Amino acid sequence: MAKEVAFEAAPQPRLLRVLTALTALGFLATLYLGLVVAGTDIEQGDIQRIFYIHMPSFFGAFTAFGATVVGGLLYLARKNDAWDRIALAGAEVGLAFALINLLTGAIWARPIWNTWWTWDPRLTSAAVMCLIYAAYLMLRAGIDDMSRKRNFMSVYGIFAFVSVLTTLFIIRIVPETIHPVIVGASPQNAQGSFEATSGVVTALAPSMLLWLTLMPITLMWHRYRLETRREALDQKMIQALGD
Amino acid sequence: MMNTIIAVAIMLCLLLAGGASASDHDETLPYYRMGAVNVPILEGWANQSSADFAQFELTEAQATIRTAFVSANNGIDAAQAELGEMLGMDIDGPVYSDKVNLADGTWNVLAFDIDEATTASSMARRSEAGFIVINFVERNPAARTVLVAITQADESRDVADPEIARMTEALAGVGLTQFSGVEVIDLASGTWRVFRHPELTAMGTVFGNESYVALQEGQPGDLATLADAYNRTLLGFFVTPDNSHYLALGLAVVFLILGTLVFSFSWRSRGIQRDLALIQQLAQSED
Repeated sequence: MAKEVAFEAAPQPRLLRVLTALTALGFLATLYLGLVVAGTDIEQGDIQRIFYIHMPSFFGAFTAFGATVVGGLLYLARKNDAWDRIALAGAEVGLAFALINLLTGAIWARPIWNTWWTWDPRLTSAAVMCLIYAAYLMLRAGIDDMSRKRNFMSVYGIFAFVSVLTTLFIIRIVPETIHPVIVGASPQNAQGSFEATSGVVTALAPSMLLWLTLMPITLMWHRYRLETRREALDQKMIQALGD
Repeated sequence: MMNTIIAVAIMLCLLLAGGASASDHDETLPYYRMGAVNVPILEGWANQSSADFAQFELTEAQATIRTAFVSANNGIDAAQAELGEMLGMDIDGPVYSDKVNLADGTWNVLAFDIDEATTASSMARRSEAGFIVINFVERNPAARTVLVAITQADESRDVADPEIARMTEALAGVGLTQFSGVEVIDLASGTWRVFRHPELTAMGTVFGNESYVALQEGQPGDLATLADAYNRTLLGFFVTPDNSHYLALGLAVVFLILGTLVFSFSWRSRGIQRDLALIQQLAQSED
């Protein structure tokens, strides 16, 4: 006996469509602010403009990885699959943002530090953070038992956030870093610092707002819906095979 | 409600963004921007700069410092050409010529004896667009001033006395022993040692491995002001690097990663749709 397996994709919520449009427009607007409106840094040249993406992308990753922690905690507490999907969405989107942060930093470092990479505490912790979340996605793909996978990845996602906090605070703790600090005094050995003038802040503030809120939320929502559909597909396949 | 707040915040930031453009042409910056070259603005000197050069004049000393880009075959020609442009006359060869290696490249160090009232000191180094020339001109008949940089033979001294002696003997025939003691003064450009003689004042400072020496025949008494201004120009000017290709690379990486993420969402969504259609097709065929 064949059962009805037709599956209609749920239409995008109106709010998600609005968020997607706002995110796209916001991204273009912040690019315009950083690349055209903001003045050229007279010491660093045009490459300083990458900062308007470099720093916000880290905070975007912070939001997304934070969602992985919240999703993990609430999944463990309530055993609701939706929280696990949020945790997964956070890890995937956060990793993309963290990679943007890492690579734009390396590209900035080439003309300013005269090297693509150095084993500075901040750079090393950022690279380790990326590896930890890449491992999250690989491990997740490697566990078949759904319940075991969700429990394990929830715990992993919570502990992985230690690497995010380490990356955030390490330049305040380890004085040997050469990574500059924009808010507050840079470490003594910092190279490539620049002043947070009103022009820099005016270009940076909208970018921070976008990367901290709209971009991770919108992308995670799309990823969440994708995972919901994928899980529904799995169920349909199991159901069809069972029949 | 949240969307409205975010949208309003972004619009406000966009409206405020006019302030960001000010950083490029900020009147409070202590530099005069001449293309990619940033020249320190000399306080107390009249700013006579234009799009082609940064020029500051101290009227009471009849002294002018001009920084300019010059297209020429070598540093000496560049300095001579720019001096000719400044003074509106042909300039004979330098009475003193040397080279020093500073952090930003090799500089020609030159001194010119233009006429009875006019002396000039020049430094020139190659840049992408020709030569960067910093010319000091003094048109004071009561004084003849020379400002030069000399590489120290040994690299461990923090006083410029041997170079001062070398210059006073070469240009004025006066040894340091003929000066009446030494005076130490702190200026914006560093700590200088000053030697005085009835007809000659000599002073020098050290920065890195170079000694910066200033000589003034006659007694107008403004050597410290002139030497300090020239050194602040020489050591304080810098070129904004052209690294826009790295910015382009960074943006390409951002678009690549975000594009890959969004494309993967779309690709996986279509895959799910295909699989669902297949399941539906199989289910219907079983019917």
